[in-house]
Amino acid sequence: MAVVVSVEGLRKRYRSSDPWAVDGVSFALEPGQAFGLLGPNGAGKSTVVKIIAGLLRPDEGKVQLFGSDPGNPTSRKDMGFAPEDPDFPKFLRAGEVLDYFASLLGLDEGERKRRIPETLQFAGLENERRQVRQFSKGMKQRLGIAQAILGRPKLLILDEPTADLDPLGRRDVRALIDQLKDSGVAVLLNSHLLSEVELVCDTVAILAKGRVLKEGTMAEVVPEGRNLEDVFVELVQANTPQRDQLPSFITDEPKA
Amino acid sequence: MNGTLAVARYTLAELSRRRILLVFFIIGAIGIVGLGVGLKILYTVASSSGNIAPNNVDPAVFNRFLELSFVNYVFSALATFGLLIAFAIGMTAIYHDLDSGSAVSIFSKPVSRFAFATGKVAAAVAALVVIVGALALEARFVMFLFGGGFENALTGEALAVVGNSVVVMLIVLSLSTWMNNIVAAVVAFVYYDVITGVISFVHNLADNGVITNNLIKTIFDIVYWLVPHELVSSAIGDVAKASIAISGPQANNQALSGIQPASGAGDIVWWAFVVFFFAGLVYYAVRRRQV
Repeated sequence: MAVVVSVEGLRKRYRSSDPWAVDGVSFALEPGQAFGLLGPNGAGKSTVVKIIAGLLRPDEGKVQLFGSDPGNPTSRKDMGFAPEDPDFPKFLRAGEVLDYFASLLGLDEGERKRRIPETLQFAGLENERRQVRQFSKGMKQRLGIAQAILGRPKLLILDEPTADLDPLGRRDVRALIDQLKDSGVAVLLNSHLLSEVELVCDTVAILAKGRVLKEGTMAEVVPEGRNLEDVFVELVQANTPQRDQLPSFITDEPKA
Repeated sequence: MNGTLAVARYTLAELSRRRILLVFFIIGAIGIVGLGVGLKILYTVASSSGNIAPNNVDPAVFNRFLELSFVNYVFSALATFGLLIAFAIGMTAIYHDLDSGSAVSIFSKPVSRFAFATGKVAAAVAALVVIVGALALEARFVMFLFGGGFENALTGEALAVVGNSVVVMLIVLSLSTWMNNIVAAVVAFVYYDVITGVISFVHNLADNGVITNNLIKTIFDIVYWLVPHELVSSAIGDVAKASIAISGPQANNQALSGIQPASGAGDIVWWAFVVFFFAGLVYYAVRRRQV
């Protein structure tokens, strides 16, 4: 089966004096597979997905997207990317943002007219007439997911896709991922919501300080009788400084 | 090509909704109409009794004087608003996409950085041309109140303003891809208006024989060709000649010698090179930018 994404020995740091944000990460993603990228804040998850999406350049290692360099625009034609904390040109309306992005995807007018209203409806933004600058975080997140699926991608990258969504929105995203997986779309999910990852992903990699601590199928990573959260906490705590001490002004007895 | 057009189209849509541009345009438009109509009313009131007191000035001469005042004002207004609009567009057209995070979604699409930069520059130039062009058209219309005669000069001046504003805008656009847009505007102002202005001024003094020191002349001859040259239309000279003509026989052409001559072919070619260079810098900055 053709590999959708392959990452080999990926390393990246933002300044030469900084520690590696991503340090030797390798994995591959096949069609119909849902891959979960997990890790605490600053683990390097977003850096990995931004390199795959062609937004950042790796310092070392090799990344291939549909067999090409992600920096090559044509390699991104079949990729949909919903970024973490998404934003859009703020003076445009939701329909205009989708029309803009559909044009960038090279969709013709007929296809745009067909897909945009349906995508807006999926995102619950079909009656929204305000400009993006007046949108809530949740509305932007829904628009972010909408623009990511607009091109009918073969790879969908979701970076914290449900962080600002209500429970109904989260359920819709889970249903979307399941449906896309069934139709052969590869999904790369980057999320803190471990229960969500456990529900939708076949394979996971747990990162900390830019390194993969554990990777494998859900059954390999999560032993019988345990859950993903237990495994995650155990692995991450063993590899990062403890942060369980509360500030003294919280724990001190209040003065009379 | 589709990517460039899409970026240009929606950048124009965004620019057209930015209040700051609308405010600049409205102030410029009201200023031009207000002054033109105001001067015309002044003329009508002053000439209603025949000759104009206190020196019994011929009404035709007075009308010409008012027209020249208006034309001078319009040229200054066009240059000022052209620059303000260039800064406003340059500070926002690319910077806001990068700053807000919109660029993350845009650059993940199958669009090249070249197409993005080209679309942004095309939209920015189009917006500038439309706004300055609309102000110039309005000024041309107001000129009819005075009988006209400076229409060609206005066209030349509007073209020079657009040309100079495009250079400033490209400098701000390229800098704002690297740094905060306010800092970019300050750096562009210092570079274009202060450093380049001083170099051009000293170079002109040396050319006119005011500065005779050969070393200074040589240095400024060299650095003059390292900075953008402000395009100068023949309009300023035309207005000066007209002013001399209505001042009577005692005026002479000596006054004209201090006026900067219109840009020649060399300056226009240099301007085209500068535009190409800074447009290339915008592309380079966008290409290098990681989001």
